[in-house]
Amino acid sequence: MQASRARLFKEYKEVQREKVADPDIQLVCDDSNIFKWTALIKGPSETPYEGGIFQLAFAVPEQYPLQPPQVRFLTKIFHPNVHFKTGEICLDILKNAWSPAWTLQSVCRAIIALMAHPEPDSPLNCDSGNLLRSGDIRGYQSMARMYARLAAMPKKG
Amino acid sequence: MEDYFSSADEYCYHDYYDDDDDDRDASYGLQEIETEVPLPCTKGPSCEVITKESLLAAQREDLRRIMDLLSLKEHLARTLLIHYRWDVDKVIVVLVEKGKDKLYAEAGVTVSEHDNLSSELPSMVMCIICIEEVSATEVTTMDCGHCFCNNCWTEHFIVKINEGQSRRIRCMEFNCYAICDEAKIRSLVSARDPNLSEKFDRFLLESYIEDNKRVKWCPSVPHCGNAIRIKDDEFCEVECACGLQFCFNCLSEAHSPCSCLMWELWSKKCQDESETVNWITVHTKPCPNCNKLVHKDGGCNLVCCVCGQAFCWLCGGPTGKEHTWTSISGHSCGQYKEDQGKKTERAKMDLLRYIHYHNLFKAHTDSFKREAELKETIQEKISHLEERQSSKDFSWVTNGLDRLFRSRRVLSYSYPFAYYMFGDDSVKLEMTKEEKEIKQNLFEEQQQQLHANVEKLSLFMGEPFDRYPEDEVEELRMKIINLSVITDRLCRKLYECIENDLLDSIQLVRHRIAPYMSRGLEKASELSICWETEA
Ligand SMILES: [Zn+2]
Ligand SMILES: [Zn+2]
Ligand SMILES: [Zn+2]
Ligand SMILES: [Zn+2]
Ligand SMILES: [Zn+2]
Ligand SMILES: [Zn+2]
Ligand SMILES: [Zn+2]
Repeated sequence: MQASRARLFKEYKEVQREKVADPDIQLVCDDSNIFKWTALIKGPSETPYEGGIFQLAFAVPEQYPLQPPQVRFLTKIFHPNVHFKTGEICLDILKNAWSPAWTLQSVCRAIIALMAHPEPDSPLNCDSGNLLRSGDIRGYQSMARMYARLAAMPKKG
Repeated sequence: MEDYFSSADEYCYHDYYDDDDDDRDASYGLQEIETEVPLPCTKGPSCEVITKESLLAAQREDLRRIMDLLSLKEHLARTLLIHYRWDVDKVIVVLVEKGKDKLYAEAGVTVSEHDNLSSELPSMVMCIICIEEVSATEVTTMDCGHCFCNNCWTEHFIVKINEGQSRRIRCMEFNCYAICDEAKIRSLVSARDPNLSEKFDRFLLESYIEDNKRVKWCPSVPHCGNAIRIKDDEFCEVECACGLQFCFNCLSEAHSPCSCLMWELWSKKCQDESETVNWITVHTKPCPNCNKLVHKDGGCNLVCCVCGQAFCWLCGGPTGKEHTWTSISGHSCGQYKEDQGKKTERAKMDLLRYIHYHNLFKAHTDSFKREAELKETIQEKISHLEERQSSKDFSWVTNGLDRLFRSRRVLSYSYPFAYYMFGDDSVKLEMTKEEKEIKQNLFEEQQQQLHANVEKLSLFMGEPFDRYPEDEVEELRMKIINLSVITDRLCRKLYECIENDLLDSIQLVRHRIAPYMSRGLEKASELSICWETEA
């Protein structure tokens, strides 16, 4: 659809301009398909994900921005609201709380916020959800850190 | 026996007429007819018909009340009412108990404080949806103060209407739960797609029917386009402007004094067993002595089995052989005794029991159809009489016919009622055997009296009175008026018996029975529009 294409093109130009402004997010559009995007986001500081770089995949529907994009983690992550196998994300703004005022960039920001503030009550990853709910924050953090180190950090040396 | 039976007809040989009783009741009844005692609790129409044309007016009154009460705009009042299923009283209760803020929050109503924001807009505005600079004339600001370009709004509305969410289209801003102003939606959408805008309007209007427990579509097929609105109790029977009579609660045909649950079970049973049972019931009946199926084609209602047992074709009960065309000596009809079939095993008994009630039900619905055909011939008779009679008032004929229809209906549906009331445990009425027997006797006595008098009335209505001399017409007139009063009273008593003697208060909750309507089902009246005078 024209409207979604035009809007994505605008977002693309905006991203080029803002690249320096938000060093935590790097949004890249697929060369041949404007409805496919990937993003690299930095794990937020003071979380087990700190120091990691996580890759997200966006599939944008034709009705965008009236309907939300589909987003999932390509990088393995141990997080209560992310499906451990598929990388699907449980986040209200990607479902019923979606508003056309959101952009791909702001969705990335919301996901970073989710990494810092998990919602253990709607877990896609039961193990980490259970660890958090049972108050075992230390257990959760060490698991999350271990996976971040394995999957999201550049190998040293 | 009264001389009423001199012109005997083949389908009535019962007589429960009791002379002493009749005289008293007849005079009492005449009085009642003349003074036209109004039914209790009929203040204004209890049901109204809502047509395509009056649908808007129908909801105006409710909208107006809420708009006035809370000083709300129409679309907000509608949002509130849709959330509370068009129950104005409920809205008021929530308002009083929880306060305005809670009331609005629960329904997702956001009341704005940005009414004059649009006047302060600069000449060019940035729409954050399409990320485009647009002229201030090309944007729309909703009550919540959020402003986007008309193009984006229109796209948003089209998606939502097509998703079937017309009734609650929210603002596009994140975390804004405000419902968009329907006038703005309408004007934007109609500029792009007038058909869709009409669809939107229809969705909004029809919410009044679909989200409203007091309003239901008429179940007519093909659909007449009407809906019916009732005042208070949903356990009632109504007649739509299209002529269809139906039970408002379960939307099937009018079935009182059967409860909705009983009627549902009954119609299902009739469907399930129709193929086998229909053939059997139409052509054969089990012998009460040996249970062999006996075949009858034509002839009187006394049939004989090969075993030598004589029995009544109508009720299946064993009788003697002495009979006339219209009666079997010593036999009274309609009583089905369970212990007659002691020798048969349970399953077969159940089927026989069902066949028994099904036969009676079918016999009466068939009679009803036959009598409905009387309507035309009666009209002819009246015009014959009008030509030569001095008295020109023939309302007794049409009144008598109406009474016949109504009491015949009650009688028909009293059989499925009896089937479940005194039957096995499919409707869980939990009675002791003794209790059941007492109640069954009580009910069947009432039912038989009604039956006898309905048949009598049917007989009179079929008489060729247009060929009678004037004094005989007068005599028939008195008989019909008397009988009308008696059958009316018997119908009422049958209902009283059900409600007071048969079902206790707990059972009545499960088996709500639409009340007896002495004057026939209420025709839904044209909508009375009160809001214009109030405003
Ligand atoms: Zn808003
Ligand atoms: Zn726009
Ligand atoms: Zn109708
Ligand atoms: Zn019903
Ligand atoms: Zn026999
Ligand atoms: Zn005979
Ligand atoms: Zn009989």
